[in-house]
Amino acid sequence: MDNNQTAKTINKKSPLPQVQGLLSGNEMAALAAKHINFHLMGYYPITPSTEVAENLDEMRAFGEHDIRMIPGDGEHGAAGICYGATLGGGRVFNATSANGFLFSIEQYPVQSGTRFPMLLNLVTRSVSGPLDIKGDHSDLYMALNLGWIILLARSPQAVYDMNIMAIKIGELKDVRLPVIVAYDGFFTSHQKRRVSYFADKQFVQDFIGKPEPIYTALDPEHPITFGPYMNEPDFINNKKQLSLAMAAAYTHIAEVFKEYAAISGREYHVLETYKMEDAEYALFILNSSYDTAKDAVDNLRKQGKKVGVVSPSVIRPFPYNDVINLFKNVKGLCVADRADSYGANGGNMTLEVKSALKDDPGNKTTVISRIYGLGGKEFFTEDAEQLFEETIDAAGHPGRVKLFEYHGATPGKEGYRMDIAMPPVNSADVTGHVIAQRDPQTGKVSDVKGVNAQALSMIPRRVVPGHGACPGCGIFSNLNIFFKGIEGDVVVLFHTGCGEVVTSGYPYSSHRITFIHNLFQNGAPTLSGLVEMMEEKIKRGELPQDKKITFVMVSGDGGMDIGMGPAIGTALKGHKLILLEYDNEGYMNTGDQLSFSTPIGHDTSTSHAGPYQKGKKTHHKDTAQIMAACHIPYVATIAESNYNDMIKKAKKAQEYSKEGFVYIKALSLCPLSWRSEEQIGEKIIANAVDSCFFPLYEVDHGKTKITYDPEAKGKKVSVLEWLKLMGKTRHLTKPENKEVVDAFQKEVDRRWLRIKAMHESPYL
Amino acid sequence: MSDTKKLLPKVNRSGFYEIRMESVGGLGANLAGKILAEAGVLGMGLNGVNFASYGSEKKGTPVKSFVRFAEPDFEIRSNSPVEEPHILVIFHEKMIKTNALTQGVDENATVVVNTPRTPDEIREELKLYGGTVVCVDAIKISVEEKVKLNTTMLGAIVRASGFIDKAALKNAISDTFKKKYPHLIDANLKAFERGYNEVSTKVFKPDNRYEQVAFSRTVSDLGYENAPIGGVILNPGNSINKDLSASRTGYLPLFIKDKCTNCGECEITCPDYCFVWEKGVDKHGKEKNILLGIDYQYCKGCMKCVEICKFDALKKELESNHDVESITVRHTEFVLK
Repeated sequence: MDNNQTAKTINKKSPLPQVQGLLSGNEMAALAAKHINFHLMGYYPITPSTEVAENLDEMRAFGEHDIRMIPGDGEHGAAGICYGATLGGGRVFNATSANGFLFSIEQYPVQSGTRFPMLLNLVTRSVSGPLDIKGDHSDLYMALNLGWIILLARSPQAVYDMNIMAIKIGELKDVRLPVIVAYDGFFTSHQKRRVSYFADKQFVQDFIGKPEPIYTALDPEHPITFGPYMNEPDFINNKKQLSLAMAAAYTHIAEVFKEYAAISGREYHVLETYKMEDAEYALFILNSSYDTAKDAVDNLRKQGKKVGVVSPSVIRPFPYNDVINLFKNVKGLCVADRADSYGANGGNMTLEVKSALKDDPGNKTTVISRIYGLGGKEFFTEDAEQLFEETIDAAGHPGRVKLFEYHGATPGKEGYRMDIAMPPVNSADVTGHVIAQRDPQTGKVSDVKGVNAQALSMIPRRVVPGHGACPGCGIFSNLNIFFKGIEGDVVVLFHTGCGEVVTSGYPYSSHRITFIHNLFQNGAPTLSGLVEMMEEKIKRGELPQDKKITFVMVSGDGGMDIGMGPAIGTALKGHKLILLEYDNEGYMNTGDQLSFSTPIGHDTSTSHAGPYQKGKKTHHKDTAQIMAACHIPYVATIAESNYNDMIKKAKKAQEYSKEGFVYIKALSLCPLSWRSEEQIGEKIIANAVDSCFFPLYEVDHGKTKITYDPEAKGKKVSVLEWLKLMGKTRHLTKPENKEVVDAFQKEVDRRWLRIKAMHESPYL
Repeated sequence: MSDTKKLLPKVNRSGFYEIRMESVGGLGANLAGKILAEAGVLGMGLNGVNFASYGSEKKGTPVKSFVRFAEPDFEIRSNSPVEEPHILVIFHEKMIKTNALTQGVDENATVVVNTPRTPDEIREELKLYGGTVVCVDAIKISVEEKVKLNTTMLGAIVRASGFIDKAALKNAISDTFKKKYPHLIDANLKAFERGYNEVSTKVFKPDNRYEQVAFSRTVSDLGYENAPIGGVILNPGNSINKDLSASRTGYLPLFIKDKCTNCGECEITCPDYCFVWEKGVDKHGKEKNILLGIDYQYCKGCMKCVEICKFDALKKELESNHDVESITVRHTEFVLK
């Protein structure tokens, strides 16, 4: 078999002209998508796959393709967008990773069970928790039972090639299955390597041919019922069809690999092998680690050890016959899994390889299983050498080494103790500074006393220095100011996001109070569970009757997109907690993608401004009004430019959270993604407020009150006065974009007039 | 391969010529790595790889960018970080104090540093065993040319390498900027030239004054035997032990006590919680919280406090004009009592 030294084939003549580049796996996935010319991409940003959509969006802004790019409200929604699009009979594309993949997972068996081909790039990454953004195969192994074909791409070159071949394989008449192309997060997705790609996208078009959907939902003359209710006895037959399609794919994949080699000069094999011809000991390993292991093979061969390495290009269908044939004469085999199937005595590849070999009555191979590289832990040549040594040992001396073990886990330093850094916040020290006064008749908070920056400058902080946020980050000014208005014991829960990541990097925490991180979309329900547990424990006498904790959930605007439904549900059920949203107008933790809160025309990494696209297409989401429509006790907007107003609202929020759900939204600086000067951050926020883009108001038991009126104070400015302070909107100051700015101004004015009318009316 | 002319002046055991750039997020080291690799691969026909250290790095936090070159027909299999570089590049000299930068650097390596200081001074601060030190005042040049400092650093790197083709590198710079920032090409090319020309270089033979520092792969103190289960952190607020001063890029806010009215607005605006207070009495004998100063260990230099202060009690100053240690007022309110 070919040793597939990709680098070697590059400069050799291939039948069709190619171009050489230095590109990463994510760039190659985007380039393949451009060449395939998908009808549509449905996506949702998640590290490390986000760049695929970013690259495509940028190309689109410069007129390089016309793939329709649709951001989902989360990965679940993105998968839904893709499914719906495939029902229309076109070519569809998605890219995701880790928890995004798991969040959308229920959609994938529907895609395969109803037999609609599409392509998903799974940029493999550890599944939470704890949260780890680096690469392993814990997400990939979740994909094994979905009914999707799974191709593996070991290098940026393979990412391009596999994407193209995946289309052809999935759309074959006796296959008709969706395909995952999986490649290693960061190792392959982000490393730029020497690659080649077709000089003309027509070559790709000719190779894959036109899509020929069997069924379409866009043909009213031929009505079809998609996705019927199907119990026994029929369901099992639907699955038998799927199983047969997988079997057909197994025979076709090698054929397509050969066809592709004829036009590209790059030949892939179902099992890629290195020095396996006479190998007595072998390592079976997926994706980017294969190359590393080849170095180990060379080193050990020099010592006279007959070793070889194997890496599958396909794991669904599992290359059952190839595995049986390859290992016939191998004495010892190590299957290295970059994810565990906890309690199964081996990762999934171990289990599948062992199961295949069991069907060969003559096979005598000793198989050991090693779990390695979890959470992106590096895999060095020395690691591969050690795995070979253990394999040789295991085969030669039964019982000497464990058949199943973790490789690379460390026990920790004996006797190590980390000194406690500081005492927890003393509840009494943070109580009694800011006082809420209630109107005895209405019961509402009528005034808040003690709001004074100077007097509050020494209140103990619940978030402490040493967090790793960017210079000038708005999150931490907002948290500091907001917490000045909150007294007593507090428990916080942060959604995944910048605020969470920069305060909880293990083994450090910037939280001096109890802090919880839970998944991106699920914060509000999680915290409501904790609130209810406290109440139940008090009721049962397991906690003191006078136990008082204020629960504050902190989320970015991203968390409020993907978690909007759960947040509304929690609000509607009246759970007693405060939800504080820091809205920095985008998904900043993943690198500045548009959120629904991003205003029209703003340039983000998924709404590029360029000759063919003028930034984000739609207006910003009005989350405060959505939450107000839940008729909760209290909704308010806050800004650091009006910090006394913020402290007052914080106090009110705490008071009203004793009754039910409270929602607070801060417009929060992000100098990095706004591309603005850090020093003038406060001025930028002030201008956003003064332009009435971000009006400061509250909705107290249904009654709207503007708490700062820039018009009345003679401070109102046009939106352009605000936009010109930021790099992400600088293009909007140019005359050719006047239309976008006018539309934005009109929408801002309309919403402001609406808030004013609500302020004035006792009913609105 | 033996009868073809070698493009690389030297390679390590694995057959690579390797460059490691140590920087903080926001200075453009990642882009510099990309440009360098493109010049080598697309311009000179080498094989090459470029990547960076990844995590959820924010602006101002330490980052590494790697370039690995090989002869054109040599397969690059490794995807691991560069441990023993031929060229070590230090984008921000403040990192020398807080990070172990010289790991894996031997006397045959070259260290390129962004600094106004001399190679002798830098060698002392680095405690360098031996090797070539190349100094370039990239901040000054990039400020004068109104560009990011990465293209200036590229000039110095190319000079230090002795083999990277200048024309190929300039092409790579132009290619990088032409799509979105064509107006920045000329300034960056000029900065590159100046970086190339305005270096001061000195070779230091090992003289046993300092030990060679081997590369050590990080092993955590906490492991499967002693870490609390479930990944919990039982140490509230221990990020207080971190030093973030390398996030500043040359400037700090200076506190002028005489002008301060203790109004508290700086404390309100500061995202990094650097202002240190004590209870006391003001000039008029009134009980008040009194601002003592700034804990620079956490200050990232955003200057929001300078902007918000109505009384000119905070001023943006060049950090090099001040002894930060002596003007720092430490937080004490967190200390265990």
